[in-house]
Amino acid sequence: MLKFDRVSLQGRLDSVEFELQGDQKTALLGSSGAGKSTLIALANGSLQADQGQVLWTGQPICQLPRRRRRDIGTLWQDLRLVEELTALQNINAGALGRHSLFWALRNLCDARLCRTTCAQLMAEVGLTEQLLDQPVQQLSGGQRQRIALARLLRQQPMFVLADEPLSALDPVLAEDVIAILLKQTGCLVSLHRPDLIHRFDRVLGLRHGSLVFDVRSDRLSREQIGWLYSSD
Amino acid sequence: MALQQRLKPALPLVPLLPGLALLPVLVVVLRDLHGGGWAVLGEALRSIVQPSLDPVLIASLLEGAQVTLLTALLAWCASCIAGTFIGIVCSDTFWSLLGAPTRIARVIRVPLALLRSIHELIWGLLLLQLLGLSFWVAGLAIAIPYSAYMARLVRDLIDTRPSPPWRALISSGAPAISAVLTAITPSMAPELVQQMGQRLDCALRSAVMLGVFGLGGLGTDLMLSLQSLRFREVSSGLWLLAGLMVIVETGTRQMRQRLGALPGLLIAGLPISVVWAKELSLDLSWPHWNPLPISPTLSSVLEAMTQANWAELIGATLVITAWASAIAIAGPPLLLLIWPSRLGRHAQRFTWRLCRICPVPLTALLMLLLVKPSLAVAAAALGLHHAGVTGRILLDAVDQRHNVSSSGHLVAGGSQRTAMLYGPLAQLSRNYLAVGAQRSEVILRDTAVVGLVGGAGLGWELMEALSSFYWDLVIALLITYAVITMAGELLTDHWQRAWACQADGSTG
Repeated sequence: MLKFDRVSLQGRLDSVEFELQGDQKTALLGSSGAGKSTLIALANGSLQADQGQVLWTGQPICQLPRRRRRDIGTLWQDLRLVEELTALQNINAGALGRHSLFWALRNLCDARLCRTTCAQLMAEVGLTEQLLDQPVQQLSGGQRQRIALARLLRQQPMFVLADEPLSALDPVLAEDVIAILLKQTGCLVSLHRPDLIHRFDRVLGLRHGSLVFDVRSDRLSREQIGWLYSSD
Repeated sequence: MALQQRLKPALPLVPLLPGLALLPVLVVVLRDLHGGGWAVLGEALRSIVQPSLDPVLIASLLEGAQVTLLTALLAWCASCIAGTFIGIVCSDTFWSLLGAPTRIARVIRVPLALLRSIHELIWGLLLLQLLGLSFWVAGLAIAIPYSAYMARLVRDLIDTRPSPPWRALISSGAPAISAVLTAITPSMAPELVQQMGQRLDCALRSAVMLGVFGLGGLGTDLMLSLQSLRFREVSSGLWLLAGLMVIVETGTRQMRQRLGALPGLLIAGLPISVVWAKELSLDLSWPHWNPLPISPTLSSVLEAMTQANWAELIGATLVITAWASAIAIAGPPLLLLIWPSRLGRHAQRFTWRLCRICPVPLTALLMLLLVKPSLAVAAAALGLHHAGVTGRILLDAVDQRHNVSSSGHLVAGGSQRTAMLYGPLAQLSRNYLAVGAQRSEVILRDTAVVGLVGGAGLGWELMEALSSFYWDLVIALLITYAVITMAGELLTDHWQRAWACQADGSTG
């Protein structure tokens, strides 16, 4: 479903090649600067490769029509919430790809638009409905992370990309986030937590911009992980 | 109540809401279409790509452009230098450093507000009566209100800096002046340089506009050509003006990058202007003061006040201000939402530049080729000119943030329009509203210019009173104008601070 065909990006990724199935949960490991965020950005089309192609169901990702782009959801490392809007408006922003500009304008002035749906999503991510009317800039870091997750769920993507979604989260929240991500049909999640890889089907290892292993999670050895994070 | 709670516009919508005021303007303009000037307007539009290249005309325009640039440079240098000194003296920080009560600063600020509230065009027409036609009139007319504006800016910059750093230096034994220079100057220098750069751009446009009203330079050439319907000549003048503005914009951008260049230009600007003026054989002798033929007294001014229909005059001025502000504030984000692509943004940048270049009276007169004079035409001409300014500010800010803030929505399948609305426009709305509030204040002052076109408002009455030498009414009108613009300044200042504070708070 998502295929990297010898993808290179100058100085950041070097001829990366793999293919993910739509129902696979995949973890992406690598030390800081290995190219994980770059790979996620290439996978959702916000970056373009110098060489090679990123394909989504056989079509180059950069040529995907708008209505198919919404099939891929991203949980960004910096969350990318619209600070000026409320939690409800931010969650509804996940559905912008399915609606017209008129709906987008309505979301900015109607405080009850799709409130029931958003309340259900809030419950799913462990937040109370009362927070729906709060501007997101007034929420705590953990609450903001959950709002970003609710927005992702509102998008109803076929495949989820997550860029270090657990960084700076406490263990309880991290567990909630990973559980929700793993409920999705398919996902590619970049992580700094080797202790969690047993919950994924497959693990990709990135080192200095190159894909150094692509194995089933139950076959990944401690030595491989140790080498991935070693400095030499 | 429930409906009010439910329909609460979110911040990104607020800059678009004034767009509703476009509807009545459009209705009035369409109602007043006379259609008599389509052929002439077509000729005017064709002439944009077919400017006259007659060497005699080009030589005359070049000379006019030099006079305009010289006037702008002179006024800019004088206002920046004077404004900085006055700004320091009228700051609370200055007086508290001297151990004197800050009331003194507040007293000094009152006459400054009065000087600032009167538009440069009115200063120009007044000085023309008092000094006669002279090279200095246009420069002084710009320098007086601009100095007062710069003083306010410098004072704001000084007084809004946090006091603990300089108080800490003083408590450690540093002399007051050294402490302030060390703790305040570095933090205010970048913004001061940026604002001073923008003032040069404004001074150039003001110099052109004063020319349109007969004070010489490129503006006078443009007006004479337009009055004889020689559009190709107008087009040549506008292209030349566009070139000048690009040079000035590029120069000021460079200055922002090299902070040290600005003081150098300010110091060198005045002697350069004098040498340049001599090269152009301009008469630099100081004009004689022509006292008013009559001396207005309080009773004569009060009597003149009873002769004007103030409600109608002030009402018309406020309607023009409201409509023009709506166009200037809502126009750029609306257009950006309609055509958000890269090509669209380039086209909008060109459009706003065109609106900015064309002096307001010229735009208004071009509109009058098709539409009967009305408040709506006056507001549209003024609004379009200021949309040129707000449009540039908005596009610059959008281009800086576009990729990062919109990519999240684009990759999730949002359209370019929704990505623009939820991305850069949402992020910029508070700062943009602060800019819009400040623009409304400028628009209120600028109604003096377009009162002429609408045949209404205080501006129109003032022109009439000036041309009939009815000095009692002139003074009454100036007082009224000053009171209204000072009230407007207080109001827009409040909005501007409110939006800017929220913007600062939200970026944390």
